[in-house]
Amino acid sequence: MYNWRRIRDNLFKIIVLSLAVLALTPLFHLIVVVFINGLSTLLEAGWNFFVDLPPTPLSQRLGGVAPSLVGTFLLTLTSLPVTIALSLFTAILVTEFPKSRVSLVVDTIAKSLASVPTIAVSMVVFSLAITIVNSVPGIRVYLSPAGSALLGSFALIIVALPFSYTYFSTFLRSVPFTYKEAAYSLGMSRWAVIMRVVIQVVKKSMLVAVLMTMARIMGETAALLFTAGRYRSGVPTSILGPVDAIPLLIFDYILSPFEVWHRVAWGVTLILLLFYMLIFFIVKIGVKEVKLT
Amino acid sequence: MYAVEVNNVNVYIEGHHILKDVSLKVPYNTVFVIMGPSGSGKTTLLRVINRLIDLVDGARVEGEVKVLGYNALRADPYELRRNIGMVFQVPNPFPHLTVYENVAIAARINGAAKTKSELYSIVKWALEKAMLWDEVKSRLNDYPHKLSGGQRQRLCLARALAMKPKLLLLDEPTANIDPINARKLEEAIVSLKDEVTILMVTHNPHQAARVADYVAVMYDGRIVELGPANHVFLRSSTEITQKLLRGEL
Amino acid sequence: MIKSKRDKLFFLSLTPFAISLLSILLLLVYVLFLKSIESLSAYGLALFTKTIWDPENGVYGVLGPILGTIVTSLISITTSLVFSIPLTITIAEYLKGYLKKIVSSIVEFMGGLPTIVYAVWASRYLVPLLKSYVMDPLHASLSFIPLFSCRPTTGYSIFAAGIALGISTVPYVTSIVLEAYENIPVIYREACYGVGSTKYEAIKILLSLSRPAIVAAVILGFARSLGETTIVVVTIGNSMTLTPCLFAPSYTVSALVASQFANAFLYRYAESVLYVSMLITTLFSILLSLYASKLIIEWRSRIVV
Repeated sequence: MYNWRRIRDNLFKIIVLSLAVLALTPLFHLIVVVFINGLSTLLEAGWNFFVDLPPTPLSQRLGGVAPSLVGTFLLTLTSLPVTIALSLFTAILVTEFPKSRVSLVVDTIAKSLASVPTIAVSMVVFSLAITIVNSVPGIRVYLSPAGSALLGSFALIIVALPFSYTYFSTFLRSVPFTYKEAAYSLGMSRWAVIMRVVIQVVKKSMLVAVLMTMARIMGETAALLFTAGRYRSGVPTSILGPVDAIPLLIFDYILSPFEVWHRVAWGVTLILLLFYMLIFFIVKIGVKEVKLT
Repeated sequence: MYAVEVNNVNVYIEGHHILKDVSLKVPYNTVFVIMGPSGSGKTTLLRVINRLIDLVDGARVEGEVKVLGYNALRADPYELRRNIGMVFQVPNPFPHLTVYENVAIAARINGAAKTKSELYSIVKWALEKAMLWDEVKSRLNDYPHKLSGGQRQRLCLARALAMKPKLLLLDEPTANIDPINARKLEEAIVSLKDEVTILMVTHNPHQAARVADYVAVMYDGRIVELGPANHVFLRSSTEITQKLLRGEL
Repeated sequence: MIKSKRDKLFFLSLTPFAISLLSILLLLVYVLFLKSIESLSAYGLALFTKTIWDPENGVYGVLGPILGTIVTSLISITTSLVFSIPLTITIAEYLKGYLKKIVSSIVEFMGGLPTIVYAVWASRYLVPLLKSYVMDPLHASLSFIPLFSCRPTTGYSIFAAGIALGISTVPYVTSIVLEAYENIPVIYREACYGVGSTKYEAIKILLSLSRPAIVAAVILGFARSLGETTIVVVTIGNSMTLTPCLFAPSYTVSALVASQFANAFLYRYAESVLYVSMLITTLFSILLSLYASKLIIEWRSRIVV
C-alpha cells in the first residue's frame, strides 16, 4: 500500500515540475528571440540607431528610433513625478486610518481604476481633449487633440496611479504599528512620524515602488494610442506637440507589412527589454531592505 | 500635588467598556506600579495618560486626567507627549537608525540639545542611566538588530530618557526579555526615581514587590485595590489581590 | 481620531489627493456613459445581435467582438490555470532557499514585462508555432468538432490570442495564488503531515483550502484579459467574424477600438458604438475585479487562526 502512495507522490511531483518548467519556457524563448533579432538590427544599424530617424517603409537603411526614445523620456519625465506625488500622499492618508472605512474606500477605488482597460483611458482622454478644445478658445495650444506629450502624460498618469498607489500603500502598511507608537510617544507630529519614521523604515521599498512605476509607464502602449500623436519625422522639442514613444513605435511597426519596420521594431524591443531588465536588476539586487527586528 | 491624577475615567473601545470608573493619584518622584492579569485594562490606562489612545480607532474617553499640570484630555497631545517618556512591552528601537541616532532623535525633537556636543552628552547620559553605556559605547553606529533583546529594551529606555521627561510610562517592560536583563532594567528604573516619576505596568507581582512605592491592582477594567506597596503586599484584604499574589490569576 | 487642531490640518492637507483618485474614476465612467448614449438610442440592442462594421452605411453590430473578448479571456485563464497552479506548487513546496528566490523573481519579472514585448514575440513566433503544431493537427484530425472546423490560414485567430493572453497572465495569477497559498497558517500544514500524509496528499488539502483564492485569481485574471489590447491586436487577426471556430480570425472589443477608433470621428455613430462596447467591457471588468477582491478578503479572514 505504501509503495503505491509513494509512486503517486513522485508522479505528481514530476507532472507538476514539468508543467512549471513549461510555464517558464515562453519567457526564456522570448528573451532569446528578442536578443537574437534585436541584436541583428542593432549591430547592423550601430550607434546611429539611437540618434537617427526611422526609415521609410521600403528603405534599405535601418535608420534609428531617436524620436521614440526622446518621446518616451519626455512622457516619463512629465508623468512620473505627478503619479508618485498623487499616489504617495493618498497612500499616506490611508495608512493613517489603518482599518477604517477610508482605507477600504480608497482601496476599492484604486482596484476599480486598475481594472479599467488602458485603451479606454486613451479614448476618454482623447475625447475630453476634443471637448475642452472646442469649448475653451485658445487652449488648443496646450491640448492638441492631434496628440501631444502632455495628453499622453495625462493618460499615463491615470493608468499608473492605481499601480503606484498599491505599491506605496502596501509598503507603508507593512511598517509595524509599534514603531509609529514609539514615534508618537516621543512627541513627534503626524508629519514627522510619517516622514522621519514610517517612510524611512521602508525607504528602500519606496525606491522599488518608484522604479516599478517608471517601468510600467515606459512600457504602456494602449494608453498612448490616441493621445501621443506618433510624431516620427523628427525629435520632439516640446511637450505640447505630438510625440512618439517606444511601445507605440513597436506596435505600429510590428503590425505593418514592411520588413524594414519589423527589423526596427525588434531593435527597439530589445532596447526596451534591456531597460526593463536593468530596472528589475536594480530593484532585486541593489536594494537591500532595512532589517526589522 | 500629584504627577498624575486620574478621576473617574471610563474608556470605551468600539463599544466595549474597557476602563470602568478608574481613579488614582501618582505622587511625584515615586515608582507607582499597576498590577493585574492580562485584559484588565492596564495598558489602556497608560495610553490614556499620554494620549496614545488617540491612535486607536473607535476609542472614547470620559472623565478627567491631569498630567504634570496639564489637563491631559484637552491639551495638545503632541506637547503633552514631549514631557512623557514611554517604554513598550516589545522593544521597538527604530530599525533605520543607529544606536546613537535612536537616542539622539528623542533629544532633538525636544530641542533639548542645540549643539553636537550637547547632543552627545545627553545621549551618553541617557545610555548611562539606562545602564547600557558600557555595552554600546564602542558600537554607537551599529543598528539595533545587532543588539540582544534586553539591550534593545534598555536602548528604548535611554531613548525615552533622552527627552528629559518628568514622567516615565513603562508598559510591562521586562515581559519579553531574559531575567538578567530584566534585573538590570529594574535597577535602572529604581535609580531614576529622584529625577522622574515612574508609572509602571506589570503582571509579575514579585517584580512589583521589588520596585514599587505604591501599587494599584486592576481587574476587569476597575481598580480593586490602591495604596502603599507594603500595605498591598502584606496586609491586603482584597481577594483578587491575594489571588494575584499567589499566582492564581 | 481628530482630537487636535494640528490633526485637522493634517487631514485637510491630504484629502485632495484621495479625492483626485475618486474623481478620475468617476470621470472615466461618466465619459464612457455619455459617449455611449448616442449609439444606444439610435440602434438600441440591435448593436449586440449582429456582427458587422460598416460605418459608411451606418450599420454596426458588435456581437463578434464581444464574444471574441469573452472567448479569448476564457482561453486565457484556462491556459493560465494550467501553468500557474503547478508553478505555485513548485515554488511553495518543491523549492527552497536561493532557487526559490530566483524562480520567484523570474515570475515577478515576467509579470512586469511590458505587454508590447509579449505582443511582438507572440505575433512573430507563438502564432506560427501554434499554427503548425497545434491548430493544423487539430483541424486535420478533429474538424468535425465545430471549434476546430475552419482551416487556419495564417494562424491569427481567437485561439492564438487566447493562448498568448494566457501566457502573459500566468505571472499575475501565480502571484495571487502563491501569496494565498503561503499565507495559509502553518498549523494546517503541520496537521496534514502530522497524520502521515505524503506531499501530494498535503498539497491536495492545502489547495482545496485555497480554493476561494484560486477562484478569485481566476476571476481577476479573466477581468484583466478582458481589457488587454496590445497582445490581442497582434494575434487575433482583426476581422469582423462570428464563428464558433477557434481558429478563425476575429476581434475583441479592445482590438476593434484599437483598429477603428482613430478614424471613427469621420462617421456619425462609429465612435459611440466603440464607446458602448468599451463601456460594457469596462463595467464587467470592474465588477468582476471587485467581486474577486472581496472573495480574497473574506477568505483571508476565515483562514487566519
